This record gives sequence, C-alpha cells and structure tokens, in this order.
Amino acid sequence: METTQYLIETKELCKQFKDNLVLKSISKTISRGEKVVIVGPSGSGKSTFLRCLNLLEIPTSGEVWFEGKLLTGASEQEIDRLRAKMGMVFQQFNLFPHMTVEGNITLAPIKLGLMDERQAKDRAKELLSRISLLDKLDAYPSQLSGGQKQRVAIVRALAMNPDVMLFDEPTSALDPEMVGEVLDFMHALADDGMTMVVVSHEMGFAREVATRMMFMDDGKVLEEAPPTEFFGNPQNPRLQNFLSQVL
Amino acid sequence: MFEDIPGQIYRTLIQDNRWLVLMDGLLVTLMVAGIAIVLGIVIGALVAIAKVNVVYSGRMKWLGVICEIYTTVIRGTPVVVQLLIMYFIIFGAASDKMAPYVGALAFGINSGAYVSEVIRAGIMSIDRGQMEAGRSLGLPRNITMRSIILPQAFKNVLPALGNEFIVLIKETSVLGFIAVTDLTMAAQLIRSRTFDAFIPLILTALIYLGIVLLFTWALKKLEKKLAESDAR
Repeated sequence: METTQYLIETKELCKQFKDNLVLKSISKTISRGEKVVIVGPSGSGKSTFLRCLNLLEIPTSGEVWFEGKLLTGASEQEIDRLRAKMGMVFQQFNLFPHMTVEGNITLAPIKLGLMDERQAKDRAKELLSRISLLDKLDAYPSQLSGGQKQRVAIVRALAMNPDVMLFDEPTSALDPEMVGEVLDFMHALADDGMTMVVVSHEMGFAREVATRMMFMDDGKVLEEAPPTEFFGNPQNPRLQNFLSQVL
Repeated sequence: MFEDIPGQIYRTLIQDNRWLVLMDGLLVTLMVAGIAIVLGIVIGALVAIAKVNVVYSGRMKWLGVICEIYTTVIRGTPVVVQLLIMYFIIFGAASDKMAPYVGALAFGINSGAYVSEVIRAGIMSIDRGQMEAGRSLGLPRNITMRSIILPQAFKNVLPALGNEFIVLIKETSVLGFIAVTDLTMAAQLIRSRTFDAFIPLILTALIYLGIVLLFTWALKKLEKKLAESDAR
C-alpha cells in the first residue's frame, strides 16, 4: 500500500468549528526522520492541523494515516494504541499537578502495561539525568520553573518511546530566558533522529533544525520548502508579508 | 427547666443504665451516617461521571436523562418523605433489625444527588488540557478520568463535600420516623420516661456538635495532606 512509506499522511483533511472552516482540505505527508516546522499567523489553523494528527481534534472530513493505519474511523482502542506512539507537547505544559515529576513520567507506561514499575522508574531517571533534572524526581510541577516544566513534559512524552513528537507552540508560554533550554533539548532530540512536527514562532530554531518548512494561512498550506529556500526566497506574497513581520 | 440539674443527670444517664440507650443510639447514628456517606460518594461520583461522559460523547443520552431525573426528584423532595417511602413502600416496613440499613440506603441515595453535582462541578473545574495530556499519552478516557481528572477534582471540591456530609450527619436525626432508635430518638425515649427535657436534649445537641467538630478536624487534616503538591 502506498501509504505505508509515510509515517503520517493526511488526505483532504477538513476541520470545521461551527461556521468556521479552520482546515481546508489539507493533503500532506510526513516521512520518518523529517523535522517539519509549521509557521503562520494566529488563526491560520496550524495548531488545529497538528492536533488533528493524533485526533485530539476530530477532523470533520478527510483521512489521517499513521504508520500505514487509518486513524480516522479506527476503534477507540486502536486510536489509543496509535496515540501512544505519537508524543505531544503542549503550549501550557499540561503536567499533572497532583503527581511528582516521577509520577508524571511513569504513569502512562505503567498504566498501559508497557513497562513494569521498576523499568518505568529507571527510564524516568535516565531521561531526567539527560536534562540534568534528576534532583527534581520527587518534586511537584508547582515547584518547577516554566522551562523545567516543559522539559519534563517532553520527557514524559519520550518515556513512551514515540515514533514522532508533535510540538504545539512549546515555547510560547515561557519567559524569554527559559526558551533557550527548551529549544536546546528539542535540538538534541532532532539530532538523535526523532521525527518531529513543530508549530512554533521560533524562526531561528526552525532555520537550524527543520528539514522542511510549512507556511499555513487561512486553513491551507500555502508554501512548503526547505528552510534556506523558505526564508531566502519565499514565493507566496502572504509568506513574504508574514516573514517581513516576524523576522 | 433548670431545677435539680444533678437529679436530671442522674435520671437521664445513670438510673436504669440509661446512658446505654444513648450510647446505642449514638452508634446507630454513626453507622447510618457512615454507610450513607460512602454510598453518597460512590453514587455521586458515578452519576457525575455519567453526566460528564454523556455531554462529552453525545452517546447514551438515555443515561443522562435517568441521571437528570434522579437528581431532580431527590433534590426536589424532602428527605423525610424519601425515608418514609423507602421504609413503608419500597421495603414494606422492614424488620426492626433491617430498619437502620433501609435508613442508610435512603440517606445514601439522597446524599448521592447532592454529591454528584458537587463532583461534577469539580470535574468541570479541571483544565481540559489535563484530559488532552492523558489522551495524548495513549491513556483511554476512563483511566485518564480516574487517575488524572478525579483526584484533582476531588481535591478541589473537598470543602464542599465536607459541608455536604456535615448536613447529612445531622439529617439522620429524623431516623425516628421509621422507628429507628438513633441518638435523637434515644434522647426522646429517655425524655418521655423521666419527663426531664433539658439534659437529654442539650446533651444530644452537644454530642452532634462533637461529631461534626471531629469530622471537620479530620477533613482539615485530609485537605492539608492533599495540598502537599501545591507547596511552592
């Protein structure tokens, strides 16, 4: 089947909120190892597109394929199983405030029976030491800084050994001095070969890390190119206008 | 009213070992309230989750209707009437031994209606990002609800729940309507024997106050423990 060669594929993906058509028939593919950075003005549908990829947002019509399997229309159990392989990082971190850092990281692997408690805790320690936060193992999210929270949130997703990581404006809620530590971690992930789809306004990061840029506006992907071309020689007038405002 | 207090105390508590009647009544009150609180939490949580799920999924609308009827009817009728219906109609005047349990069931069902609204408010107060975070990790909706949403919701509504159960503890004082000798009924029995009203009733009031104070204290303890994760 032709779909199996892509990690993620969307076919004529549409999403409508009440009278508002947010995604207008998006057909795109993402291959293993790609780092796709999606930019665009607010309200362009880029976050909705990302959230449709793991069905946090249910598309109004169209198809989402993941690892050769049709996500839209799959059973609840099948969707849960596939979602476990798509890590997601949110703008507002969404750590579980009533659990320690360790609890946050080990909850899903243990509950889903992927690891026993010992393995899950070892994995949590290993990942935390990688971001030098091993001393926060027993801390609660309220005791962490914003940058620490977001890095723990990334680690929580990584603990599931996902095949792709989806980032929904991961640095937008951070104080400026904390953006760097999160982007550095994401950069390191990219260097390790993780497939990444990132919605972000961090153009410097995009330039360095992306293998492909996507520009969305008004529910459509208007331009797609490697970063050098994307930033150096933008074609679409709306992209030109957008870049002149953000750069 | 105030004459011969020592004599009243003697007649109320010591003569014919009447303190045992009060003690038995107290135990019945505590047992009925205890069972009703547990029932109330279980029923309340189930109804709250059912309501939230029906709204979220749009499926099983009939379940939502049943839950709505339940809370409407229970909250719209007096607890004494519910107690009487449970005892005389549904259980057809159960035996003396069973009566306290029938009472506990009636109070549990009554409490569940109020508790369900409190818990539902708690669930709604949790940011939807919490559910999304759980689901994005591959956790099914029910596990996310149980492990992530409910513990936070419960913590948020603990003071309101405590309030609910304080009302419940005191409401059990109408158990006499179905011939159960709870604390209040025990005091009434003694009063009708000794013709002294002051000591039996004031003592009973003080005992209820003591129970509620103890309960409040335990609740504060629990609240403090649950607030550990808030500390900065």
